[in-house]
Amino acid sequence: MEISTGQLKSELILEELKRRKHTKEIVDVEEERVKVVIFACGENRYAFYGTDIREILPSFEISWVPCLPDYLPGLINVRGDIESVIDIRHFLGEEKCSHGKPLIAMAVRGAFQSGILIDSIKDVVDIPLRTIQPPLTTLNGAARDLVIGEIEYGGEIVSLLDIEKLAAKISL
Amino acid sequence: MNDPCGIYLNLFLFSVGGVHFAVDAEQALGMTPYAGETEEDLFWFHEELGFGNRAVTYRTPTIVTIRMPESRPYRVIIDSLEDISEFSRHDIRLFPDLLEPRTLRNGMWGILVKDDRMILLVDFKRLLRGRTAVAALGEVAKHENM
Repeated sequence: MEISTGQLKSELILEELKRRKHTKEIVDVEEERVKVVIFACGENRYAFYGTDIREILPSFEISWVPCLPDYLPGLINVRGDIESVIDIRHFLGEEKCSHGKPLIAMAVRGAFQSGILIDSIKDVVDIPLRTIQPPLTTLNGAARDLVIGEIEYGGEIVSLLDIEKLAAKISL
Repeated sequence: MNDPCGIYLNLFLFSVGGVHFAVDAEQALGMTPYAGETEEDLFWFHEELGFGNRAVTYRTPTIVTIRMPESRPYRVIIDSLEDISEFSRHDIRLFPDLLEPRTLRNGMWGILVKDDRMILLVDFKRLLRGRTAVAALGEVAKHENM
């Protein structure tokens, strides 16, 4: 089929598709996105920046070490590397979950490196940077000191946690 | 075993409250079974290491006498003495950076992995030195507040 200008319909469609693709590429370039790892801890959902989480480990045997505070349950052996474990529930004011075995998120930022106990992984998503909102001024409780922003996920507000702020909380 | 390079350590392996420990055999002057002694210079291992509220039951308590260069020997009750084994220094792992300041102050300076279990290396001299330093700081603070 030919359009009155002499162009084939397929050519018009192709042009349109290419224009759209080009526009999308421009949008993709302009809109900075970040990966976040959304997880459950106690009764709530939280998130870390994906760049701060090296891997998620299944439930590990944690070797208890004397003299450490309760929020440091001990050591794990990750393929020959001995790593510390932080029970983040202590800092979030969450109760220990009774169902299921916890997972360990291996967090790395600069010189800080540790496993962090979480209940489960909900999702790993790319979100536009602009969608991260400042922490709610009304945010109360123990978690407030760790929150760097708020994101929306599945109709819920999820607190984005800062690994550096967590590291600063641990002073031995 | 012949050890010309000094890379091997003879360690006493024992466990207290289900946690595995090892101490350099060179630190120990001797060992005797614990028979209910209550002398003031006799210490329980779990109290020395900071087990906190964790319940600890000793099954076969043994008194280890630790050689101290400038003071009387230090006597501590350990449990379930398992073995004396030779380990290469190269097999000793460091505590993670996050924990090391605290573990060093409490005499724990390294980790060995044997048969999938972690063995915490204890240096009683380091433990006592740390305690002496803390006590000295406390004294200084007390005088400054007077």
